Amino acid sequence: MAGRAQIATKNSALIAMIADEDTVTGFLLAGVGNVDVRRKTNYLIVDSKTTVKAIEDAFKEFTTKDDIAIVLISQYVANMIRFLVDGYNKPVPAILEIPSKDHPYDPAHDSVLSRVKYLFSAESVASGRR
Amino acid sequence: MEKEEDGETKVEDEKVMEFLDSVDTYLFLFDSLSSTLRQGWLEFASARHSMGVSRVNGALLDLKSHSAATSLQVTQVDDSVERQPHFILHKWISSDNGQDCYKEGKFREDKLCMKIDTPQLRNRSNALLSEEKASARNGAPLDQIQKERSKSLSVFGTLVSPKLRAAQLSFETALETLVEIANMRSKMLSSFDQLHNELKAPTDHKLKFSSGGAVGNEVNP
Repeated sequence: MAGRAQIATKNSALIAMIADEDTVTGFLLAGVGNVDVRRKTNYLIVDSKTTVKAIEDAFKEFTTKDDIAIVLISQYVANMIRFLVDGYNKPVPAILEIPSKDHPYDPAHDSVLSRVKYLFSAESVASGRR
Repeated sequence: MEKEEDGETKVEDEKVMEFLDSVDTYLFLFDSLSSTLRQGWLEFASARHSMGVSRVNGALLDLKSHSAATSLQVTQVDDSVERQPHFILHKWISSDNGQDCYKEGKFREDKLCMKIDTPQLRNRSNALLSEEKASARNGAPLDQIQKERSKSLSVFGTLVSPKLRAAQLSFETALETLVEIANMRSKMLSSFDQLHNELKAPTDHKLKFSSGGAVGNEVNP
């Protein structure tokens, strides 16, 4: 389509994470952890002491960095900054809302599915609201 | 005229099917991800139980400067209407030999992708398949991968519980699923945009037709 922005090709793009300790540690075991020379990490561990502002700042930072291709965010954390997540519409980095130990994945809250769900019948949309 | 309309309807139906397929696959992948993550969390909790909380916690995470051993390659796929990003996972590539592995790794991954698309391979609990895929994607030998895995585990000490190793494999599998989800997300949004444009176009056409009809009614009551 004319006017659509080019998607920059990247060779060593990172996966950023905003999630609870166990989820982040698990993915770090899988080798996605990156710490730069300024000791900035590509993850934020969210616990009971983490403020909404810190989560917002991390989200904004990860979605504006050129070297990040996917941002994983626990869905319950995404719900805390829902307006930011739903307002995000760039193709890269891709925002993926993942389940956490205590909060299973809920398709009704997924920002991508929310965007496309109006194409379904009025019945199925109404059943989702119940 | 009728043939053209039939042709257009057929194309629209195909687009609708493509969109619904992508939504279905997206939800299926999330289901698969949930069960893989549950397994990983359980294994992680078992490792914490056997090794002790002081040995398995976030405070031990390495904050020294280091590059990610697992990274992504992002390419652009040109659809008829949209440009979609396509994500490729590269696991356990050390920064020393990363670049050399890409070409061979991509070739081997393409060969493997032809096999992966069969339904039989949706069961991802086979660790050997995970090893083969990692090796194929990266072009890195298996011992190199094991070396990188051990390096990642060494944060928790030299001798670690087998449950921690199992948790590592589970989270690796979860990563693969997440990359598939990211690609399916791109496809779904692209299909959605195409359908959205299709739905808007007939509305404009109907408006022109109805305004012409109204004028006709005024002239001929």
